Amino acid sequence: MKKSDFIKINDSLWEIPKGFRSDMRVAARAYVSEIMLESALRDKSLDQLVNVASLPGIVNYSLAMPDMHEGYGFPIGGVAAMDIKSGVISPGGVGYDINCGMRLLKSDYKEEEIRNYLEGLAIEIQKEVPSGLGRGRQIKLDAASINKILERGAQRVVEQGYGEKEDLESCESNGRLPQADASLVSDHAKNRGRDQVGTLGSGNHFLEIQKVDEVFDGKTAEIFGLFLEQVVIMIHTGSRGLGHQIATDYIRVMMGTMDKYGIRLPDRELAACPINSPEGQKYLSAMAAGANYAWANRQTIAHFVRKAWRSVLGEKSTNLTTVYDVAHNIAKIEKHEIEGETLELCLHRKGATRAFPPSHPEVPQKYRAVGQPVLIPGSMGTASYVLVGVNTGRDAFFSTNHGAGRTMSRHEATRRVSGQNLLKELKSKGIIVKCWNLRGIAEEAPMAYKNVDDVVGVVHNAGLSKKVVKLKPLAVIKGE
Amino acid sequence: MKKYEVLEHKADLKIRAFGKTKEELFQNMLLGMSESQKPEIKDNKKTERKIKIKSLNPLSLLVDFLSEILYFNQINKEIYSNVDFIRFTDTELEARLAGRKVERLGEDIKAVTYHNLDVHQKKDKTWEAIVLFDV
Repeated sequence: MKKSDFIKINDSLWEIPKGFRSDMRVAARAYVSEIMLESALRDKSLDQLVNVASLPGIVNYSLAMPDMHEGYGFPIGGVAAMDIKSGVISPGGVGYDINCGMRLLKSDYKEEEIRNYLEGLAIEIQKEVPSGLGRGRQIKLDAASINKILERGAQRVVEQGYGEKEDLESCESNGRLPQADASLVSDHAKNRGRDQVGTLGSGNHFLEIQKVDEVFDGKTAEIFGLFLEQVVIMIHTGSRGLGHQIATDYIRVMMGTMDKYGIRLPDRELAACPINSPEGQKYLSAMAAGANYAWANRQTIAHFVRKAWRSVLGEKSTNLTTVYDVAHNIAKIEKHEIEGETLELCLHRKGATRAFPPSHPEVPQKYRAVGQPVLIPGSMGTASYVLVGVNTGRDAFFSTNHGAGRTMSRHEATRRVSGQNLLKELKSKGIIVKCWNLRGIAEEAPMAYKNVDDVVGVVHNAGLSKKVVKLKPLAVIKGE
Repeated sequence: MKKYEVLEHKADLKIRAFGKTKEELFQNMLLGMSESQKPEIKDNKKTERKIKIKSLNPLSLLVDFLSEILYFNQINKEIYSNVDFIRFTDTELEARLAGRKVERLGEDIKAVTYHNLDVHQKKDKTWEAIVLFDV
């Protein structure tokens, strides 16, 4: 694929027309700057975007967000909407880490008020929130408890005392997808999930103590409860081994039944079945169960972060409240207006987050006048952003990217950056880092990612979402 | 003969393994997956597990084999370096795994994917496979 295969719609939107390959059912569109497009041409992500355009029932466009890079099957940063009557659902369009997502907690304090407690907070949070790759949480849930989490998500753990009702109001889908069915989740998956509720995982999953560094939209920031210099905490994790196993199980199921439905695909990893088929419906319910587990996981982590917060700042310290919790690897049934008609669509967002505009019924009441908070983490040690959903996001089914997007392999990162030097560099910027594994730090070096400021710039200019505040890291915690 | 090598991939883990026979190929891909999880061995006590796999096709057999062992890694907190095949056909296998308990795994492999999956016999009759792991 070459740059000349693209039609430039505007400075941040490029299209591969439907005629580019005979199996395309719709055009493919990438929300990128010219420089980002050139960089995307160096990997397979644009070919993957074209592959997605060949899936049955896809509506309007196969879309890629500004952080796009090569994934398996779908590109990371991929968005595809399928008509539920004629379309397919693909586990590859959700990803292995079902409901990997972000949660943002806010405090009432400014940085200067807690500066002296930061080191202690980072140590205590690291202690309270294990990665789960070692000893885990030492709590092994029985089958009945896992089933309750799978079917009731964050609501279940809040009832057990891990958080407050207000947390649920600030969660996408209130932290629970009702179509979840635990009986469709394998014992393998449940076993993998038994000791991982409240664990962070590895890779790019993290916890950060951050401060509000810049406010772009004061009115919206105020409604989100955010102000300059305020200390906030960001959580990035998903459904852990349980979700990975659900994806593995259902990719296998779909590969075995695709032929029956006459589905032919350019890549095995796109394995898909009609949404209305028994296999499609079962995956949707099992995926919903995985998504619920992830919401329960982030809710439980938030609880233990609060515990650490109180133990360091004292019982009289004011509590941390949830700004928002949003998924960035998920398939959801949503209603969208297509050519004047309201259609029910199955939205695949893989490495992409929803970004609903003002007045949308799924935006929490307290934010409905301004739109849904959109959380975009940067790479380790760089900025993160809070944005807000806007009406101009319609063409992208109200979606936005989920991060900065990698540009360098983990291997190359560890070859070019030493964990020790990176630690020093972050320290010189005043950032505390808690991580058991120096290599893990090198792999997530900022130079291995696109510049988050550029990526968010494209999001803002393309009208996918609007910048509200920029967050700067004070401490990074990576598990155990 | 080289057992396996880690190839460049932007976000995930890509391993190419080799083998004089298909069984050896499976064994070497397992070794690549095991070592990539950066295990911290707990003690020298050996453990043994048995697995039985039935797959849709010969390609899936490798993915299913690795997926099942990944499950064992995480559930049993064990890492396996050696596999002894009792039965090995195009779509089915039965094997004994020899391993050790681990304190922790330094890397969380999420899944074994089908992305650009390749298993083939070369002109010189040796085997080669490429598997992408989601990390």
